[in-house]
Amino acid sequence: MNSIKNKNIPKYLIYTVLILALPFLIQMISGTTYLVMILCISLLYMIAVTGLDLLFGYSGQISMGHAAFFTIGAYTTGLLNHYFDMPLWLTIPIGCILPTIIGTILAIPASKLKFHFLSLATIAFGEITYYFLYTSPGGFTFDFKGIGAKPISFLGQNYIKWYFFLLVITIIVFVFKTYLVNSKVGRNFIAIRENTHAADGMGINVRKYKVIAFTVSAFLTGLAGSIYVHFIQYISPESAQQKQSVLFLTMLLFGGTTSIPGTIIGVLFIEFLLELIRPLQEYQMLIYGIMLLVVVVALPGGIYGGFKDLAAKIRGRKKAGTDKTDGKANAG
Amino acid sequence: MIETRNVTVRFGGLTAVNDVSIKLLPNKINSLIGPNGAGKTTFFNAISGVIEPDEGEIIFKGEHIEKKKGYQICAAGISRTYQIINLFWQMSVIENVMVGMTTKLKSNFWQSLFSTKFEKNEEKEAYEKAMEYLRFVGLEDYAHARSSSLSYGNQRLLEIVRAMASGAELLLLDEPAAGMNSTEKRELDVLLERILDRGITILLVEHDMKLVMNVSDYIFVMYHGALLAEGVPEEIQANPEVIEAYLGGDE
Repeated sequence: MNSIKNKNIPKYLIYTVLILALPFLIQMISGTTYLVMILCISLLYMIAVTGLDLLFGYSGQISMGHAAFFTIGAYTTGLLNHYFDMPLWLTIPIGCILPTIIGTILAIPASKLKFHFLSLATIAFGEITYYFLYTSPGGFTFDFKGIGAKPISFLGQNYIKWYFFLLVITIIVFVFKTYLVNSKVGRNFIAIRENTHAADGMGINVRKYKVIAFTVSAFLTGLAGSIYVHFIQYISPESAQQKQSVLFLTMLLFGGTTSIPGTIIGVLFIEFLLELIRPLQEYQMLIYGIMLLVVVVALPGGIYGGFKDLAAKIRGRKKAGTDKTDGKANAG
Repeated sequence: MIETRNVTVRFGGLTAVNDVSIKLLPNKINSLIGPNGAGKTTFFNAISGVIEPDEGEIIFKGEHIEKKKGYQICAAGISRTYQIINLFWQMSVIENVMVGMTTKLKSNFWQSLFSTKFEKNEEKEAYEKAMEYLRFVGLEDYAHARSSSLSYGNQRLLEIVRAMASGAELLLLDEPAAGMNSTEKRELDVLLERILDRGITILLVEHDMKLVMNVSDYIFVMYHGALLAEGVPEEIQANPEVIEAYLGGDE
């Protein structure tokens, strides 16, 4: 046991150095801070996708309207700051709490719904949020114009500083996610995904745990949104659109569900791919569609899942791959 | 122990379970038999809270449970297995058992989120205990294998031990021998006796008459949704109505 741990130390050391040096490397190679900004957005998306993973990957409930939580978080902190001049250390937490409350309220009826109906309900939720922000009562959300927001004072527009700030938050999120999924709560989430009927029979209060999953998920996505608005310094109703929700889902599925490396790979891959194909922006939805199709048909475990299967095959354990597809069929 | 009084379940115009009153012998193997479509599984579902009976009462340890939901009934001390195996396929064997223990674990959401000392200790103890349960049915070597990789007979065993892990005092077994080979059936026979040694009461639904007559202490016979007869195996075997129900067909 000890020797294995010792062997891993150099590996972890390399990872740590790489993560710490990454923004400097990117800045040096590309010569601009633009890609560092993309890296920062990726970190924010990782937080949001982690939320979606707990909901979809672990407890098997789909959300096609997750961008709404992201946008509600962003608008909450932005508007409170704009109208009441409240300090950001107060508005950002409120920006996390409001989507959490809305997520819980949505989940209480939604936890009764079966998969397809849940996806319809969450699409509707996303659309409602979009149209509410687009044509709000009295125009308090500034409608289609969107709102500007202040940067976090001690970070300003220094993307390197932002990177480290977001890195710390993302790591904290990953740590708590790891605790949660390795506990009774995480086990119950998976049990519900695998077999709702048996989960109930084994003493799991299925609705309660579904609501918990929704609540935690909305909190994390709202957290990402409420920081995002102060990073980009602008938010518009468009962020609540279907496109953004599909983006989160594509990132999650492409990287691979129920794993942290999957989330990291998925977000980075898609985010940097989008940068590469920026000239083809009008085909964005088409590209998501194709990528989702590729993942669902050819790589049910996402890139990370496929990578793990490959590694297992190389080690001569071919079984892992077939098991994975078996299980997926059951989960659906 | 457990008693049902005039339990009736209807699906639209069809009465699947009609006015069934039974009283189980505590710490014995009670069996429920009857031809296909007699309403055995529906009756099981009513006891375990999958469906709510339209009429009648179910009393477990002096408490009414007919209105309770499945997870509440499990917490009260009744656990079950399924006719079609319902394991958590992507989870490991030991995780399946640990899910079964969920009603016994006290940690709440926050303790899990922050991985407190209490939660960690509880998880560790749960793991040890789950391992003991696996040893009880001889599945300890497969603890970390995916449950879908087990043989059919072992999947049945895992379902039984997952149900026991909730600390159930009453175990409802829905055709545990289905799909087992003759060796596995003999082993099941022994296992049922060992489960009784732990003070558990068993209600068994089974089609294998040889097994039923061998292991049962008391038998209830259902026919067309109603209780046709009850008694010790010898009485049931000699009962002309039961013979008629099994051999006479539906004509």
